[in-house]
Amino acid sequence: MENRPLEYDYSVAKLFMFTTIVLGIVGMLIGVILAFQLAFPSINLLLGEGLAEYTNFSRLRPLHTDAVIFGFTLSGVFATWYYIGQRVLKVSMAESGFLMFIGKLHFWLYVVGVAAVVVSLFMGITTSKEYAEFEWPIDIAIVIVWVLWGISVFGLIGIRRERSLYISIWYYIATFLGIAMLYLFNNMEVPTYFASGGIGAWYHSVSMYSGTNDALVQWWYGHNAVAFGFTVPIVAMIYYFLPKESGQAVYSYKLSLLSFWGLMFVYLWAGGHHLLFSTVPDWMQTMGSVFSVILILPSWGSAINMLLTMKGEWQQVASSPLIKFMVLASTFYMFSTLEGPIQAIKSVNALAHFTDWIVGHVHDGVLGWVGFMIMAALFHMAPRVFKRELYSKALMTTQFWIQTLGVVLYFTSMWIAGITQGMMWRAHDEFGNLAYSFIDTVTVLHPYYTIRAVGGLLYLIGFFMFAYNIYKTMSARPVEENELQSATPMAA
Amino acid sequence: MFHWLEKRPFFFAVAVFLTIAFAGLIEILPNFAQASRPTIGTAPYSTLELAGRHVYIKNSCNACHSQLIRPFKAETDRYGHYSLSGEYAYDRPFLWGSKRTGPDLMRVGNYRTTDWHENHMYDPAGVVPGSIMPAYKWMFTNIADVDTAYAEQLTIESVFNVPYNKPIPMKDGSTSTVALADSLEGAHASALEEAKLVAEDMKNQDVKDAVANGQIPEIVALIAYMNSLK
Amino acid sequence: MDIADIQAYAYFFFTGFLVLVLYGYIYHLYSSERKGERDYEKYGDIALNDEVTDKPVETISEKEIEKKEA
Repeated sequence: MENRPLEYDYSVAKLFMFTTIVLGIVGMLIGVILAFQLAFPSINLLLGEGLAEYTNFSRLRPLHTDAVIFGFTLSGVFATWYYIGQRVLKVSMAESGFLMFIGKLHFWLYVVGVAAVVVSLFMGITTSKEYAEFEWPIDIAIVIVWVLWGISVFGLIGIRRERSLYISIWYYIATFLGIAMLYLFNNMEVPTYFASGGIGAWYHSVSMYSGTNDALVQWWYGHNAVAFGFTVPIVAMIYYFLPKESGQAVYSYKLSLLSFWGLMFVYLWAGGHHLLFSTVPDWMQTMGSVFSVILILPSWGSAINMLLTMKGEWQQVASSPLIKFMVLASTFYMFSTLEGPIQAIKSVNALAHFTDWIVGHVHDGVLGWVGFMIMAALFHMAPRVFKRELYSKALMTTQFWIQTLGVVLYFTSMWIAGITQGMMWRAHDEFGNLAYSFIDTVTVLHPYYTIRAVGGLLYLIGFFMFAYNIYKTMSARPVEENELQSATPMAA
Repeated sequence: MFHWLEKRPFFFAVAVFLTIAFAGLIEILPNFAQASRPTIGTAPYSTLELAGRHVYIKNSCNACHSQLIRPFKAETDRYGHYSLSGEYAYDRPFLWGSKRTGPDLMRVGNYRTTDWHENHMYDPAGVVPGSIMPAYKWMFTNIADVDTAYAEQLTIESVFNVPYNKPIPMKDGSTSTVALADSLEGAHASALEEAKLVAEDMKNQDVKDAVANGQIPEIVALIAYMNSLK
Repeated sequence: MDIADIQAYAYFFFTGFLVLVLYGYIYHLYSSERKGERDYEKYGDIALNDEVTDKPVETISEKEIEKKEA
């Protein structure tokens, strides 16, 4: 033992890579089912009348969002942390039995939490707050999982060899703190079973906030859960994986530091844009709009920095499918961070809010940016973690184009659907009466819902190709002897 | 100064936290008391209505239906008066929703009847041709959870001082009271009283029989809740 | 002065303060590089040379030296 050279220990990263893939399939599969249900309502009876309660759109919808956010994305964040964290701090988890134990405990408790979430949401046990549907017992479990991750992060930082924290670590720290604060405050609730002296369901609780306040806290959370779940940790990934894979250091490290502080300050203010024209105070709505527009700056700071990192190395985009994934991800990041502020402008929001345009925005961000980046991260990690060459480059390229087509179909159809419906809702005839009944604005969407469902299906097919590629990498490739530097080795 | 921070993970984390916590502190905290004051005419939910609200939440109706009317002519024409902050004072949690796959329900009690809801929940496309809403047939057999609704009422009365059994000012200058039973049996009895009124207007024989036998199917509670949305 | 005023003032001054800090930071980044005190761009190499056997860009032991000097 003493004589073996020190190596990074990826055992926890491997476990989380596994859940990233499994929960990604679950979340996306449910998403595709939901999309087809909107186009063809008979699919609500997927498993017959008897199980309709559990296969119906409204029961599955929270499962889809939570499986993608807390399953796929969060697993991806943890997997990459347990990979990047060691490498940029230049310390192995094998050096600390304590951190290794915490890491494994973190994983297994996470799995238990996920199982509890799936069961409870199928049963219809929910608080109704988006991305915070879990009742109090699961909330407590999530807090414990989060604290364990915090111990992992700060524990590893505590024993580091590299004195300065790489920019990715900054973003992981922000993810940890941001989600911790938001989650705690948004889930303040009173368990009714205990407060009433043992009456009713033991898991039920009632929100500490009511009405407008509840909405304000919820969207302060909802918006920033996107910030600290879908933006901050994904930026952490691209700041590591793109330079590493391309062999080019970040174009401007100073710009990356500035963008970080800009993002931290501005992002939280933008939450008000979810509540434009609602009953929250006007000045707060205006703040939400203004800061959403300012938010373009730090977001584009990071995205442009990534694209400039590829300066003079653009031939890599043509030759490496992995670089394709990451460059497309940062392009989609720019795209959706421009689209979001546009939707936050009051007059645009009046049209877009409550329509499918918002759904389209969420998905070009999540499919194009988050999904592509996490898959790219796993593609980069797999050969190093399993010490094997990637199974198939051709499969990767095919997957890339299929999924890109899927995302494009998705967001274009949702734009048209959203704007069409928004315009029809507000249309008046020559006498000043509403021109359309509500159902007119629903039936008109059928073709777009169908296109969207096909787009989602293409993305899911691509994800299955990804899972297969990783599986074959683990099992079918010969062990790699060479030291891997930048570009990931791939078999044709 | 800056470099000092970059080298110290703990103080760095504190700085990040202060930066991100600032917006929440300024935005949310100061308006808390003001935003939670009820408007005249807003009353807390009765036991049956609250049980119906739980059915609404259990089936994520809020995933497709909003309860927020924005101050535009097109919206007030379609759904009624725009929403006021105080109207939500007793909504825990709020159910504004974020997507209108179906129409807004904030004031659905003003223009839909028990009979309409009953047929619509059983077969939406039969009532509204072209509807993509799924049917909710299980609500006609599942029994509503009155216990939990009562537990929630007790909780909000004691923890948040929700005015049960107290006079509440109405728009016409009169007052009205929402009763809260002093025992679980009492709560069941008063919920059943209310359920009988709803079931009178319904056609489904199984539901009518269940209510006659002292049971409250989910659909009855849900309709009581929908009728209270005004 | 009611709570709404305090809110507005707190908002105004804290935002101003953070904007100043951010510009100060930009100045710090560029001036320390020009003066040769610290080259921030070298930290980009942390990602590239990240084998456990690679030499750290800055080793942790320098901290002790800095402490003695302070």
